[in-house]
Amino acid sequence: MTDPLVAGYADALFSVASAEGDPAVVEDELFRFAQVFRADDDLQSSLGDPSVPASRRQQIVEDLLSGRANAATTAVVSMVVAAGRASSLPAIVDAFVERSAASRNKTVATVRSAVELTDDQAERLTAALNGATGKDVEVKVVVDPSVLGGVVTEIGDDIIDGSIRRRLSQLRESFG
Amino acid sequence: MTHRRTHLLAAPLVAALGLVALAGPAGASGESIGGCIAHHLEEMIEHSHGDTDRVVHELHEESTQEDLEACLEAPNPILPELNEIIWGGAAFLILLVVMVKKGFPAVKGAMDARAERIQADLDAAETAKSDAQAIQADYEARLADAKGEAARLFEEARTTADQLKVDLTSRAEADVVEMRERATADIEASRQQAIADLRAEVAGIALGAAERVVQSSLDEDAQRRLIDQYIDEVSGHDD
Repeated sequence: MTDPLVAGYADALFSVASAEGDPAVVEDELFRFAQVFRADDDLQSSLGDPSVPASRRQQIVEDLLSGRANAATTAVVSMVVAAGRASSLPAIVDAFVERSAASRNKTVATVRSAVELTDDQAERLTAALNGATGKDVEVKVVVDPSVLGGVVTEIGDDIIDGSIRRRLSQLRESFG
Repeated sequence: MTHRRTHLLAAPLVAALGLVALAGPAGASGESIGGCIAHHLEEMIEHSHGDTDRVVHELHEESTQEDLEACLEAPNPILPELNEIIWGGAAFLILLVVMVKKGFPAVKGAMDARAERIQADLDAAETAKSDAQAIQADYEARLADAKGEAARLFEEARTTADQLKVDLTSRAEADVVEMRERATADIEASRQQAIADLRAEVAGIALGAAERVVQSSLDEDAQRRLIDQYIDEVSGHDD
């Protein structure tokens, strides 16, 4: 169950992105920024620190995304950070992505892999997930070295874990 | 009761009055010694016509002396004079009648009352005796009960003490057994924990080594094969 606050922000940002430009581009850029934000503790503390003035936090966002991302993407991220919701940014982005995909009648599948998938692998995986779930799936690939090898797919609350990390965890549990 | 006492007092009073009333006529009859002498003196005075010398002279005569001595002779010691018998008998009869009519009933009533009172006292004494016997029996019964109760309490206390002794002994034995079991369990738990810790430590070391081996062995081809294998497995869900 998505937090109503997060869902509200996601709907608002989707409306802004739709009005300012291509929601799919904004969705992709936001998704990638969220991945970076999740992995970077310094960035989290900088943008989430309430003692840092909002203008300073917005300036950090401008410096990071200016020239690299769509102006609409920069605007919505800056708005969330200025509102003091930086800690909720990953959840808001996830809800945004689902909202955006739903607008295209698609379901987002977050795929974590230790290495980038080739286009062929991404297509075959999309087809496989479409067949497995019976939905029109849109794959979002996240390179996560902690997976070690293999793939972990999250579709909503469902997780299909085929990672080496899981196998090692199972091995560890069998020792326990 | 007061009426009866009045009768008892009246009877001797009537008798005394009778004696006093009858004493006068009896004394005045002249049958007594004084009366006899007085009678002779009166006759001498009457015969002498007031001549005192003649009276004195006659007094010294032998016939007069004999008459006077005859007066002095004692009457019959057994049979009283007739008038005394009459007066005495009448007084006796009167007194007898009075006593029969008044005295005897009063005395009988007093005797009856006394008998009743004595009987009542006897009854009361009997009742008191019965009560005392009942109280004594009750006391004896209570004493017996108290003795029985004391014996029962003593027996109960002894039984309780014995039971307590048994309980304490069994409890102490149970505590010893429990402590022994607990100590054994603690030792076993510690042993199991040590084994688990050791196993976890060994597993951590082995898994760390395995992880490093896997990371070093997962080149691009291996990663690709793993992803392809995963895709095939996901595709297999549809089968």
